Amino acid sequence: MEKALREYEEKRQEGARLAGKLLLASAVTAPRVGGIDEISVQYIEEQDTIEEMAIVIDKMASDNPAWGFFRSDAIQVRDSDVVLVMADRRSGHDPMDSNCNLCGYSLCDQWRQVPKLSNEASVAFRGPFCLLRSMNVAYALGGAVTLARQLGIDYTVKMSVGAAAVRMGLTPYKSDVALGFLASVTEKSPFKDLPKNYEQYNSASLENRLIGRLFPTFRSIYS
Amino acid sequence: MAIINQEELLKGGLDRAVELMAVAANTAMMFGKQKLKIVSMGPEEFEDLSGFCEGIAGLSPLADRDGRSFADLAKEDARALLIGANRKSVYNFDCGACGYATCAELNRTPLVEGIVANGPCCHFAVYDMHMAAMAAAAAAWRMGLHCRVFQTVGTAATACEFITDIDFSVGVGVSYQQIDPFFDRHKYWTDEEWKEKFAQDFPSFARRFIGAVE
Repeated sequence: MEKALREYEEKRQEGARLAGKLLLASAVTAPRVGGIDEISVQYIEEQDTIEEMAIVIDKMASDNPAWGFFRSDAIQVRDSDVVLVMADRRSGHDPMDSNCNLCGYSLCDQWRQVPKLSNEASVAFRGPFCLLRSMNVAYALGGAVTLARQLGIDYTVKMSVGAAAVRMGLTPYKSDVALGFLASVTEKSPFKDLPKNYEQYNSASLENRLIGRLFPTFRSIYS
Repeated sequence: MAIINQEELLKGGLDRAVELMAVAANTAMMFGKQKLKIVSMGPEEFEDLSGFCEGIAGLSPLADRDGRSFADLAKEDARALLIGANRKSVYNFDCGACGYATCAELNRTPLVEGIVANGPCCHFAVYDMHMAAMAAAAAAWRMGLHCRVFQTVGTAATACEFITDIDFSVGVGVSYQQIDPFFDRHKYWTDEEWKEKFAQDFPSFARRFIGAVE
């Protein structure tokens, strides 16, 4: 690759990673119910881990009839420079004890008696989770969104990323509900103007077809 | 050009700011097409919220403390943006976070009425509403307003029917006063009262709720 272009690509990635760390900071300082520290934010920049996550999400698309959109999500993960995963550390086992009824149980002690959903592939999050706690994930995401807008980088939020992160064991111990934030620094947002059947026609798959598949054929013919 | 005095400037600015916060909340990043209900309230309504919180002070020390501050917010011409939503899933994620395997199961479950919320709620309905609240709070922050997101404002405003036809809500309080009225509210608790409250059976307090040490 031409030196100038290589340097441009390196600086682009560096910018995305720097932004990703600032997004993490904004997610951490976003409001919390009761000001409690119970959210963790995992920062993922390694392309291998991002690719592994995209594959897990793609596979999960077959686990539940409602998850067809995971295929498109997988591509968007693959096209991301940085992935943030916001997880709640307490909502699965330690309710807020506010008896808020968001979960549908008038008392938190009733919630404690409810068995968790079984460990099946079709279940993303083995609920019920305490909503008064897990809503902090939304504030963390909102904090990242706020700064991403100011920085002018492309972003989106994904339930599938959180589900895959839990399945991959990327979240802390007992953090069984999580949501994902994708960030990208490119000329065209990979999260907007999604074609139908995006998984077949995105830039990565086209690149694979044209260069990865066709170019060796040309070489073998013409060289 | 007409001279506009300081009081008019500040009041007018705050009213416009609350309108822009509503715009920010409505255009917030969300997981789906969740219908939000957005209304604003002013000093008179803060007075009513204070009365409601006083009424449930025995149940909730948090409402007790916030209620006392609401009486002052009423005097200081504060506003709040109220954002509410409904409990059912419009997402069809079948994620399981609510404890039901499918969204259809959750939506079939009979409503359970509560003071804070009617449940059971779809997690993403709640997330989306709070992401909208976060967007409103961020807009307020960018405009230089003092701001705090209040669960108690949402609860009390729903009880007072300032926001209706929703299952849960949250309030984003804003103020243009020189001193931020939303934080460091020590004057609403004496040391004796603080100790007395902690001695009561509020398990959340032992779990770092509102700043207690775990």
